[in-house]
Amino acid sequence: MANTDKMICPNCRVEMNHHCDKIVYNLDTHDARKTEPDRGGFIEEFHSCPKCGGGASRHG
Amino acid sequence: MEPNRNLFIPVILGTARMGRMSLHAARLVTEELGKCGGVETDLIDIAKLPLPTNDAGEAIKQADFSAKMSKADALVVVSPEYNHGYSGLLKHVLDSCLKEYIHKAVGIVGVSAGPFGGTRVIQNLLPVMREIGLVTIFWDVNFSSVQKAFAGDGRLLDESYIRRIDKFLKELIWMAKTLRHGREQVSLG
Repeated sequence: MANTDKMICPNCRVEMNHHCDKIVYNLDTHDARKTEPDRGGFIEEFHSCPKCGGGASRHG
Repeated sequence: MEPNRNLFIPVILGTARMGRMSLHAARLVTEELGKCGGVETDLIDIAKLPLPTNDAGEAIKQADFSAKMSKADALVVVSPEYNHGYSGLLKHVLDSCLKEYIHKAVGIVGVSAGPFGGTRVIQNLLPVMREIGLVTIFWDVNFSSVQKAFAGDGRLLDESYIRRIDKFLKELIWMAKTLRHGREQVSLG
């Protein structure tokens, strides 16, 4: 289920802009994130801070 | 949004070979970028990145390279063409990051000893750039017969490249500004 909580920039404490979802095909064995069988990967959300430009991502 | 925040556009030199002529091309593009107002740049030589080769992908992310990619608004990749392809080390380096690249512009400079100016390596890099989340521009710079374009000391012998680089950088900077606005202000919805 998609995470609907707003991400907050750790530097500026302002709400970040969610600008991208991407399927990540991760085969790293030390990555605990689960592959979704119907996609062959998992959705990662990408967010950017409108103040400092910093980026962040999380499992969508 | 903080006004007047400079763009950061590093140049990645995509080969570690001894005697690489691409070094001259990368230095020239970095120098021209440095002349652009409101732009900071840096030359990243992949030969100097301490990435291990006993693993790959984000597992081997190198902190300094990752920080530069995070800070970047756009990238220039300077790649020689080796047997129609790019160097394995360049792919190894690019694969070490992902979130750092998303919705950022990239321009590619192809370098070859032959007449085609790295057009084939550029074509081969396009799907890679797309998959890692970068947005390719439609201007390239093609250094054909690179051994004639630069003197042994790196001095540019063919001044027409300056005009081509200028066109390429104008497009890249426009895309960098536009995508920065998009990343920071335009929601996916």
